Amino acid sequence: MFGIVVISRKQVGWAFTGLGSLGAIITAILSYTYAPGVDPEAWNAPEAYRILFWHVPFAWTSFVAYTILFVGSIAWYARRKEWGWRLVATGSDLGLLFGLGVVISGPIWGAAEWGVPWDWGDLRLNTYALLTGVALFIVLSRRSQPDGIDTRDTLSTVGLFGFALVPITALATTLYRERHPGVVIVKSEDSGLDPEISRVLLIGVLSFSLLMIGLSILTELSYRLHAELVELQQRLDEVVH
Amino acid sequence: MDAAKLLSASNLDVYRGNRLVLSNVELSLNEGEVVALVGPNGSGKTTLLESCAGMHRMTSGKVAWRDENGDVRIVRDFEGRRKRLPPMGLTLQKDGICGEETIEERLSTALSISGCAPSSSDLNQMLSAWGLEHRAVDRISQLSGGLRRRLAVLCGLSPAVMSANSRALLLDEPSEGLDESARGLLVNWMRALAAQGHGILIATHDPEMIAASDRIVSVLENGTLSSETQDCLAFAGELPDPCPAIEPNPLASHLRWAFRMEVRNPIDTISRLLPALISLLLIHTFVGEKEILVSGNDFLAALIIAPAFISVLVGPALIKRYAEADCGRWWSALLGPMHRISSSFIGASLILPLPLIYISWLILGDTAPAETSQDVLKSIWIIGLSLIDVAIAAAAVHLLVADLHRSNAAAASLLLLILVWPFIELTDALTIILNDGMTFGLGMEEPFTMILLASLTSVLIWLVAVFLPDV
Repeated sequence: MFGIVVISRKQVGWAFTGLGSLGAIITAILSYTYAPGVDPEAWNAPEAYRILFWHVPFAWTSFVAYTILFVGSIAWYARRKEWGWRLVATGSDLGLLFGLGVVISGPIWGAAEWGVPWDWGDLRLNTYALLTGVALFIVLSRRSQPDGIDTRDTLSTVGLFGFALVPITALATTLYRERHPGVVIVKSEDSGLDPEISRVLLIGVLSFSLLMIGLSILTELSYRLHAELVELQQRLDEVVH
Repeated sequence: MDAAKLLSASNLDVYRGNRLVLSNVELSLNEGEVVALVGPNGSGKTTLLESCAGMHRMTSGKVAWRDENGDVRIVRDFEGRRKRLPPMGLTLQKDGICGEETIEERLSTALSISGCAPSSSDLNQMLSAWGLEHRAVDRISQLSGGLRRRLAVLCGLSPAVMSANSRALLLDEPSEGLDESARGLLVNWMRALAAQGHGILIATHDPEMIAASDRIVSVLENGTLSSETQDCLAFAGELPDPCPAIEPNPLASHLRWAFRMEVRNPIDTISRLLPALISLLLIHTFVGEKEILVSGNDFLAALIIAPAFISVLVGPALIKRYAEADCGRWWSALLGPMHRISSSFIGASLILPLPLIYISWLILGDTAPAETSQDVLKSIWIIGLSLIDVAIAAAAVHLLVADLHRSNAAAASLLLLILVWPFIELTDALTIILNDGMTFGLGMEEPFTMILLASLTSVLIWLVAVFLPDV
């Protein structure tokens, strides 16, 4: 009488993606209807701050995606693990998606608040731009290059190249004035955020995290299936020849 | 390794794409033997021959060579170790020659890189034997396919012909594209070289070449080998006498080659200079004195550095030369682990940054007071030198991208984003020079420190781009 419900990985992926997308939309709605305005004396563009309800979750999820890319790059570079390559593929796809979210939403807010869309002296802004560039390079190259050990070796090297350059970026940028506000995910004495703002921000981070998990599962699954398809095609090639 | 063995590959697993082409392969080449690698198309003959030259990554096994002193040198193994090949001869399937070279230069390069110092008459004698003497000073791009192949084969044979020591020669499809007389000459020279104690490994389909070999190694479809010996009845021809030996200096040969190619056809200089000059003229045309005075010295500093910075970001022409007929792979095989390092230097824009930054200052800096102008003229060369470091880092990044099979389809500029940092640091340094004059203190706000940091950043990027791919 108690039947066991078997949920496939694909269904789990779609469920997380759906919930995450819904949460992201709710976050956008709450940012206008629930989150209060900020002190107009302290901010140059008080209304523009609402874009941060998506900007911060984008930054958080892209950071997770780049970490996946980094772990995958190490696994392939050091041991040529097949799962490592799938992580490179998944991490670069999602890193590009969420990284673009950061580097697009950031300048929109920066243009309103600072008067300039980009600050070359800002550490986080430039690090994300650089890593998004690396992710875009890997995504484009995976599509344009023939798949094989040599290509994977080079692209995992590029993945490591991106991460090895982060400290260089840090070295260069710490010499410059930072305009970027402090990290704000939860309320702290430093951030001095209104509880309603913290709540909406937290909903945003959780929603984007769910979206990230869902898309990771689906992307990884699609690459796993693609690898199986390639193997079957190779076997078919052998039979035909 | 047996004293008679010139090279040996053991327990070799090599993938091409996703396919395991060589599986647990054991192969050796002895003094005085000609070994023919045979097998159907795509069976892995070329992969095996090139793996013996250390040109492919392997997932297991190692390749070892005996050097001129009789010591065994592991030239490549599955753990990523790589060393330069001892003096040897190599003919690739696609010749490995850049069309810009002359015939004489190419032969001379192949010999000098393997420690031979032939006289003009030695070169002429060999070219004459292969029917190339009358074209000695012609560019290779002007040769027919058959003559070009003759030259590639001669360059593969000559390091052994001109040497008194036993050497290994690797020839991929050497008879392909040769006429009957050249094929006959090739067989005669191969047999004569074997008689002198040299070892020759050839990948071939040609029955004439197979008949001229002492051992036939078949590459089977499952990536394994089978081997059989035979009595060879081919006639050994007469060879020119060996020439004096010198200490091989492949890096000097590489530098000379690259310099000659650029002097003969300066596409690298032109492709860097043109965008720099256009940007300079556009700045001069559209940015007036008023805008510069209003925007301040940081704006002027960025404008002055921008043209030289643009010139160093352009992809090196060296990469295009490497792509021609596998020329870069030939150099990579012979230079081994030094290839990427050497290429990042000779492919970089080493000359242009200095004159460009002075030209920019002379054109754009007329808003500055005379005293400042004198100070900048005396110190701006340091920024030019730092831009040379940026240029070397940019070339290393381009070379990293060039590793991809279809490098033309890859967006290298995305990885060059990092070089914005040295640019910003140099701009900041020049701004301070314009405001307060040049100082050589080592404080964080001193221009000299900023220039040093720009160079340090470039060196770190270079290290990452040069060493990560080959570790």
